[in-house]
Amino acid sequence: MKKIGLIFNGVWSHYAFAKATKYQELYELLYIHDLTAGQLAEMDALAIPFQSNHKAIAERQDLIYDFLAQGKKVFVEGDSSANWLDARWEDRPVNNFWWVKDPTNPPVSDTDYDHPVYRGLTPRQAFWHYHGVYTRIPGHAQVIQSNVDGEFITWETTHYGGHLLATTLDPIVEHGIQQITHLDNYCDRLTEWLIGTRPEGDFVIDQGDYGVAF
Amino acid sequence: MPRHQQPLRGAIISNSIEGLDQLYRSDHRIQYDILEITADFQPDLSAYQLLIAPNGTDHVALYRMRDLIHAFLDRGGALLCCDGWFTDWVPGNRWVMDNTKKTIDVRYTLRDDPFGIEEEFNIRNLNFSHGISGWWACGYIEAAPGATVLVEDTWQRPLVVVDEASTKGIMVLSASGPLADLSYATTDDSKAYAAMSNLYKALINVILQRTKKEAVG
Repeated sequence: MKKIGLIFNGVWSHYAFAKATKYQELYELLYIHDLTAGQLAEMDALAIPFQSNHKAIAERQDLIYDFLAQGKKVFVEGDSSANWLDARWEDRPVNNFWWVKDPTNPPVSDTDYDHPVYRGLTPRQAFWHYHGVYTRIPGHAQVIQSNVDGEFITWETTHYGGHLLATTLDPIVEHGIQQITHLDNYCDRLTEWLIGTRPEGDFVIDQGDYGVAF
Repeated sequence: MPRHQQPLRGAIISNSIEGLDQLYRSDHRIQYDILEITADFQPDLSAYQLLIAPNGTDHVALYRMRDLIHAFLDRGGALLCCDGWFTDWVPGNRWVMDNTKKTIDVRYTLRDDPFGIEEEFNIRNLNFSHGISGWWACGYIEAAPGATVLVEDTWQRPLVVVDEASTKGIMVLSASGPLADLSYATTDDSKAYAAMSNLYKALINVILQRTKKEAVG
């Protein structure tokens, strides 16, 4: 079975996502401070979640770009303030209540629903909130989502060999937190896009996974 | 200057997450340093009386330095962890993730208040952020025997615990409910924001009271 390496800096929501019954066979936690080329050689795709340690990633960016050069896929979510991407990320207030206050006016205004991750999603499934925006993206990138101010939320490029998909959404973290109930839709399509396997079943938490050695 | 009048020295464990340096503000009571996690992270804690594991911290690094933390607590140190410690580095207490309850049903209530934290914060204001409940904490704590449960959820599950029984120090733990002087990324609802910030100040006062007692003693 193909496997996604989840770049991991000890954040619990990353752990909860990767340990959930639905995803545990498809994702493998790769602790960033121990990351090696040998570990990545066994992975078919990479996911870098929101709340990652981008300083540590930046120190190991050659491993990520070598992975892309092999024609593999890398997904990066949330903030990326360290400059290992050829893009500029800026912080913005997190609006996670628009669906209560004004549900017909989401902060994201444009989405390319032809992209495989977004195909078949409803607007509510394609956007919940974002953590900052990209104010500059590579010239070779294609915009997938933008906000009402025309700032970039999701973009993709194949310039480095494989597919690099970057977004300021946080599907893996929020799905791990389990407070938003519709994120199976996004995460399942994302997983299928990354390795060709659509996860099945419910997001079940095994309490034996908590209070453990690591 | 008597020892108890010197500011407490606090070490904040940093996972290099965006915005962490804005959350905690040094003042005449506490002087914070940020300790950035690197490979083989084994910091010298001898200069500190308070150790903070903030929301979004690295529980692999903390597990790997658990012996240092246990020694820090056994010399009377204070630990504040406001995150989900899925690894076994917090003596006596376990955090468990859970998704069997709906956020719409979650309410936070005070169970015991021997430290008088209610004078400093209004728990009713913690319940809703922009009308949305269940926003602040995740999972629950299996508290150590002898620990004091300050805040619990709808199902009486501990969410904020003060443990002075498991070690010679004091541990203030939340079930991943963010606690800091400031945290605009968590909520910008003014009442919820104030409740979170005031709860942090109240819990810091619990730690300061204990430290003062020990200095006098």
